[in-house]
Amino acid sequence: MTIREAASALRERRLSSVELARHALERIERLNPKLNAFITLTAESALERARLADAELAAGRDRGPLHGIPIAHKDLFYTRGVRTTGGSKVYERFVPDYDAYVVEKLDAAGAVSLGKLNMHELAFGITSGNPHFGPVRNPWNPEHIPGGSSGGSAAAVASEMVFAATASDTGGSIRIPASLCGTVGLKPTYGRVSRFGTLPLAFSLDHMGPLARTVRDAALVLNAIAGYDPRDPASAERPVEDFVPEAGCAVRGLRMGVPEAFFFERLDPEVESAVRAAVERAETLGATIRIVRLPDMAALNALGQVIQLSEVAAVVEPHTGNRAQFGADVLALVDQGRLLPATDYINAQRLRRQYQLEFRRIWGEVDCLMTPTTPIPAPPIGASSVCVGGRDEEVRPTLTRLVRGFNFLGLPALSIPCGQTARGLPIGLQLAGPPFQESRILRVGAALEADSGSGPPL
Amino acid sequence: MAHARGFEIAAADLDSVARRLEALEEAIRPLALTLTPDREPATLFRADLENE
Repeated sequence: MTIREAASALRERRLSSVELARHALERIERLNPKLNAFITLTAESALERARLADAELAAGRDRGPLHGIPIAHKDLFYTRGVRTTGGSKVYERFVPDYDAYVVEKLDAAGAVSLGKLNMHELAFGITSGNPHFGPVRNPWNPEHIPGGSSGGSAAAVASEMVFAATASDTGGSIRIPASLCGTVGLKPTYGRVSRFGTLPLAFSLDHMGPLARTVRDAALVLNAIAGYDPRDPASAERPVEDFVPEAGCAVRGLRMGVPEAFFFERLDPEVESAVRAAVERAETLGATIRIVRLPDMAALNALGQVIQLSEVAAVVEPHTGNRAQFGADVLALVDQGRLLPATDYINAQRLRRQYQLEFRRIWGEVDCLMTPTTPIPAPPIGASSVCVGGRDEEVRPTLTRLVRGFNFLGLPALSIPCGQTARGLPIGLQLAGPPFQESRILRVGAALEADSGSGPPL
Repeated sequence: MAHARGFEIAAADLDSVARRLEALEEAIRPLALTLTPDREPATLFRADLENE
């Protein structure tokens, strides 16, 4: 069931919000011991909110399509009175006394939060193999990672514990788990969604966005959370439109860029074949396919890493006196960041502006870019390397290779499911567009979105 | 540098950190040579901001 379908059922009194919440809580009770998607469950307050949602609808107060819909928040969004750990030991006892902007907006839209979702420690990693709260597992195969850092968000959505979840993306952390868990994940343009009230990872790279089961559901969440917020210095004063693609939206006439170099190199053969099939499908639907050459994406990735490592090290610095409270992978990255010279960080930020200008040329040639989201499907839990294109590579740089660049440039990027491997693991297609053109990539995503069929075998 | 700043990093870990940083610096330093003095960093500061 999608958010739209549930919203119709609520308004036609075929379902109540309390029933939806109870069903979600039962599913969490059954599946969470296996998937470990939740860190904190707020069952009582969820049922209370669901009762309120039902009473409001009965009294004619309709807050919109998210009214009465069960959702959950990645555990780095501040929730007043509810522990917000960032998946870390550092914040394990942190209870905020106010809500994040995104939480405020979703509350105002009537969504019913069921709790806080597990994630990679401090959002600084892509496996969600959390050493403090246990690893999140992939609903399609619990022996595999869900991706990260928003692994709990993706696992909860894919396993239908919730209709949608909040997430953050600093180097791919919305799109990687979306790809690996077969959900939709949208990283909006930098500045489109306020970061106010979130535990920061890297200030100039952190993006907040939704994970959902369908493109239209993701758009409905974006409708609720997009907008200017003076409490976030990077928040953009851009008009908020209705991001939900119209029924029967088409890609006819759109110029779709396919960056063969870099994005189609060193791919798992099944990933390549599924993404090329999606490109063919776009062409069949009337889009014009253009092979494009992008600026040096490997360089963009290196620059993005420099910025991320430096900013994270600055954020974490006050806590580095107690090294035992960090997982080994996070600590190794923090150490790298602490030793990067300031000149490298500043020059990376200067080059960021230069590449941003270079990328403008691309948007004169094409309307949207189509690429794989990740070069591989979900690796097994505990794997540190994978074989791609006959070469052994580390898991982390492999999974971030095709997503980090759009993060560095602040561009909107969407991951949608585009098939499965023979072993039943999801494959993701990435769509990226010009700044503040979320509507465009959502429209393309909705047009290319296949019927997801049955969910994970749980 | 780590020793000068008093970081408690084991020698083996430091080797690994140094290798990774060298690789990163090898990738980005040549790019920095292309920068002209007028290119400002993409960081944000506005003197009129009242968000506190």
